[in-house]
Amino acid sequence: MPRLLLVLLVSAALPAAADECYSVDPAGGSVSFELRQAGSPFRGAFHRFGGELCIAQSRVARIDVWLEPASVETALPEIDAALKAKEFFDVASHPRIAFASESVQVRDDRQLARGTLDIKGKRRNAEVPFRLRESGGKPLVSGSFTLDRLDYGIGTGEWSDTRWLGAEVKIDFSAALSRR
Amino acid sequence: MVNLRNSTESYGIIAQAFHWLVALLVLAQLGIGLYAANLPVSLARLRWLSHHKSLGLAILALVLLRLGWRALNRPPGLPGSMPRWERRAALATHRLFYLLLILAPFAGWLYASAAGLSVNWFGLFQVPDLVSKDRQLAELFKALHIGLVALLASLVALHVGAALRHALLLRDSVMRRMLPWKPRSND
Repeated sequence: MPRLLLVLLVSAALPAAADECYSVDPAGGSVSFELRQAGSPFRGAFHRFGGELCIAQSRVARIDVWLEPASVETALPEIDAALKAKEFFDVASHPRIAFASESVQVRDDRQLARGTLDIKGKRRNAEVPFRLRESGGKPLVSGSFTLDRLDYGIGTGEWSDTRWLGAEVKIDFSAALSRR
Repeated sequence: MVNLRNSTESYGIIAQAFHWLVALLVLAQLGIGLYAANLPVSLARLRWLSHHKSLGLAILALVLLRLGWRALNRPPGLPGSMPRWERRAALATHRLFYLLLILAPFAGWLYASAAGLSVNWFGLFQVPDLVSKDRQLAELFKALHIGLVALLASLVALHVGAALRHALLLRDSVMRRMLPWKPRSND
């Protein structure tokens, strides 16, 4: 399993302290989403995010990440404004989306973080598969998962009509990690 | 006696069907576009603009087919009573009409592509994007689409006005050529 080896190498290459924590570096990283509108894919991205990932005994032990939904960007300013409003992210009342892991499992060449995703004050169990690899001398975390926007009240009222706005949202993320 | 093809006096029923179908769809399209563009971001706006985009591409396809049919079918001539400048103006107006009927939907398609709001044609298939998502380009294509549509709408007004002038004031054969029924001739 060369990728698993790589993961171990990445972590082993770092000094073997008990708990090595890294911060998520938003520069050069990305968190994007995709869902269907009127039957077509629609994409956007969030620009402000961060968090930390800790490694213990050469394994990822803990992940705590967040993003600010107010940093959402699509191709149209009026859609960005609508996404920040009450019916979608309600950024005035809920400025942060957060994920905190409870356990991290290694599965073949991937890892799986199980934890709690908190969006608009709604906390749901979530599973986030991810990979760790080295890129340009830095560890890089990346992955993708899907969620049901209706579980978190993203798009309430008329927007809960999933024929025009799909329920399933795919999230893609990647970011470099910097040693703290 | 029904002619499929154009004769020297009148358009055939195929050319007439293209004309009236495109006319009907363009009027509906102008109405839907104007209505939806003034709605706030809402499900109604999403729904209407989605229909607008599908309809716009249908019009574009119909106009291309119509041009193909026209290339194979000489339109009937204009009456000899028309002054030379009027014949020239009529020819220029019709050329500009076809140009705008192609460019206006095309600019809309570019706008939808740049805005990241791709078209799924009446829920049947995914229409490819012409350009990738780009905020500045989206603004540009939006302005272009609106400008071309404004020009097209002015041309519709001119065209209807001229047709009514021929039918009601001049009482010549010009409008009759495009009517599927033939009112009694005054000639």
